[in-house]
Amino acid sequence: MPTATTGMGENLTMKITAFLATTAIAVALAAPAYAEMKIGILVPTTGSEATYGQDMANAVDLAISEINAAGGVLGEQLSSVVGDDGCDPQQAVNAASKLASSDVVGVVGGYCSGATVPTLKIFGDAGLPFVIAAANSTKLIPANPGDAFMINSTGNDQVAKAVEYFSANGIKSLAIVNQGDAYSQDLADLTKKAWEAAGNTVPAFEVANKGEQDYSAIVTAIRSANPDAVFWTAYYADGGLLIRQLRQAGYQGKIAVGDGSNSPELFNIAGSAAEGVVGFSNPTAEFLPAAKSFIEDYSAAYGSAPGPYAPLAYDGMKLLASAIETAGSTDSAAIVDALKAADYQGLAGEITFTPENTLARSNFVVLQGAGGKWTLAE
Amino acid sequence: MSVFDIFFQQLVNGLVLGSFYALVALGYTMIFGVVKLLNFAHGDIYMVGGFLGFLILSVLAPYVGPGWTGVAISMVVAMIAVGFLGVFIQRIAYQPMLNAPRLSILITALAVSLVLQNGVLTLTNGQYQPFGADLGFGGVNLGFLFISYNQMILVGTAAALMIGLELFVSRTQYGRAMRAISIDKDMCRLMGINVTAVIAVTFFIGSALAAAAGTMAGAYYGSIWYFMGFLIGIKAFTAAVIGGIGSIPGAMLGGLILGLLEAFGTQIPGIGSEWKDVFSFSVLILVLVLKPTGLLGKSEQERM
Repeated sequence: MPTATTGMGENLTMKITAFLATTAIAVALAAPAYAEMKIGILVPTTGSEATYGQDMANAVDLAISEINAAGGVLGEQLSSVVGDDGCDPQQAVNAASKLASSDVVGVVGGYCSGATVPTLKIFGDAGLPFVIAAANSTKLIPANPGDAFMINSTGNDQVAKAVEYFSANGIKSLAIVNQGDAYSQDLADLTKKAWEAAGNTVPAFEVANKGEQDYSAIVTAIRSANPDAVFWTAYYADGGLLIRQLRQAGYQGKIAVGDGSNSPELFNIAGSAAEGVVGFSNPTAEFLPAAKSFIEDYSAAYGSAPGPYAPLAYDGMKLLASAIETAGSTDSAAIVDALKAADYQGLAGEITFTPENTLARSNFVVLQGAGGKWTLAE
Repeated sequence: MSVFDIFFQQLVNGLVLGSFYALVALGYTMIFGVVKLLNFAHGDIYMVGGFLGFLILSVLAPYVGPGWTGVAISMVVAMIAVGFLGVFIQRIAYQPMLNAPRLSILITALAVSLVLQNGVLTLTNGQYQPFGADLGFGGVNLGFLFISYNQMILVGTAAALMIGLELFVSRTQYGRAMRAISIDKDMCRLMGINVTAVIAVTFFIGSALAAAAGTMAGAYYGSIWYFMGFLIGIKAFTAAVIGGIGSIPGAMLGGLILGLLEAFGTQIPGIGSEWKDVFSFSVLILVLVLKPTGLLGKSEQERM
């Protein structure tokens, strides 16, 4: 980070020189010096969800390097600017404002729904096309000013899959635990509604405080309600703690987790307690036939296997690039129109949009924890 | 589970939670006793203790296994290392400020907290770190109550540490000096007590207790991260205030009371577990309003 600090002994001339140099650099940075198209990436690269965020940023950068190697978009090379939303609504607003004012032609990203919701207005006011790769709360739909596109199936699709799975496995009573944020609360509320509409019961509906290590109060509430299954709708870091404490306290029923918890990290945190845990997930790279070469390229570039949202982030970037190509210019409105009409075959399947800019078809699968990793349950 | 079962289960859970609060609260209260400083970096000392315990365990695990033996050795080594870290922080950050206005040293403590937090954030990239201990799921099932072996060991260790501290403070020369300094530091100096050394010992013990709690929390809950000390730091502060800040038995009592209050408060119908923090900090406000000296604190003329 450039600084212009001066020591006590330095004279005024030095200070003026330093000031002028800094100003010159600032001016040089502000002016578009050469033909390069900038893409914003909005993901959490710090905080509890940093693993997912960095993974998505890597996937976008991989897509960009492939696009650049093939000649770029409209003859221009792409580059990326990362805005760290920290999975926090306030930090996300700052990150989005930073991206909106740094000459990007479009934004890819959005992992935590709670942090993504307030950015929609900022990108909307700037008219920027925003491809939301992972965040999938239904709260994003009414908040969308029209220039954001969700390429992940929404919570509604996941709820349908979850209810179908629980019913098929003889479960009658279901305890639901969320974390009070937009994503997990939304998933919990929708599941409760659908589950009760299907004639079943929800004997415990709990909210965990984020960042807390001790879940004994919830564990006792769940054990006293004694449900057939527990459904954790929030993220893996705290989910791992809850699963571990449920099993430590002797809870024997089935435990299921939403798509925020389907990271391999869940097994590191929960240990052997995560064996047999069921997870609902968008098809992750390893279960996608089309993603074989993507996995190889990603592993070669970053030295680790891509995480669950990497294919979607990669698809999002490729989709945005193809929309810019179709639009024939970097005009925001033209790109948004091209996205609305998009019919793109990505790693995770076909991307077409509903009139609400959500994905036209669902892509959820059921995974199961076995031997310290996720395997396809179906 | 009947109401009876829930009562006993939450009693055990409250004791576990209270043990953590009490261990961290002891450091708060001891340090406040000798230097009249609310050491807001204390929660982060707990966090650093967790990370050091994890590092030592990952070195030891191939030799002694990831069970309680490994955790116990890691805990002791982490306690010593973090104890010295506490003394080091006191020497460079607090010692020069001892005669400065009270507010300056409080701000220094906040700065130390941020340094520790952001240091670990940078080193770990802000990610959750699985602790790597494997403590098993065994326990005693009494029918109406399930107590895991881990919970017994945890509460037992915390109790042993607290008894040890109580003996140290009541029976040794350093302990007596510590109590004397909390009453009148300048008079102690005139009486020939090495006040600086006693302050260092206090920081060592306080930090070591927090490190013990941090390592045990990491092993028991399974993961650590840079922000884990924040909430427990203010909870422990609350516990210290409930018990009477400056009072060592008060911190133990306050920790247990807060743990039990949280455990039972969250089971009242209509008050879900999401109200846990609202509950504990309402208790803090009530105590401050109704009995600012806490349960076992003595009233003093000068307070923060």
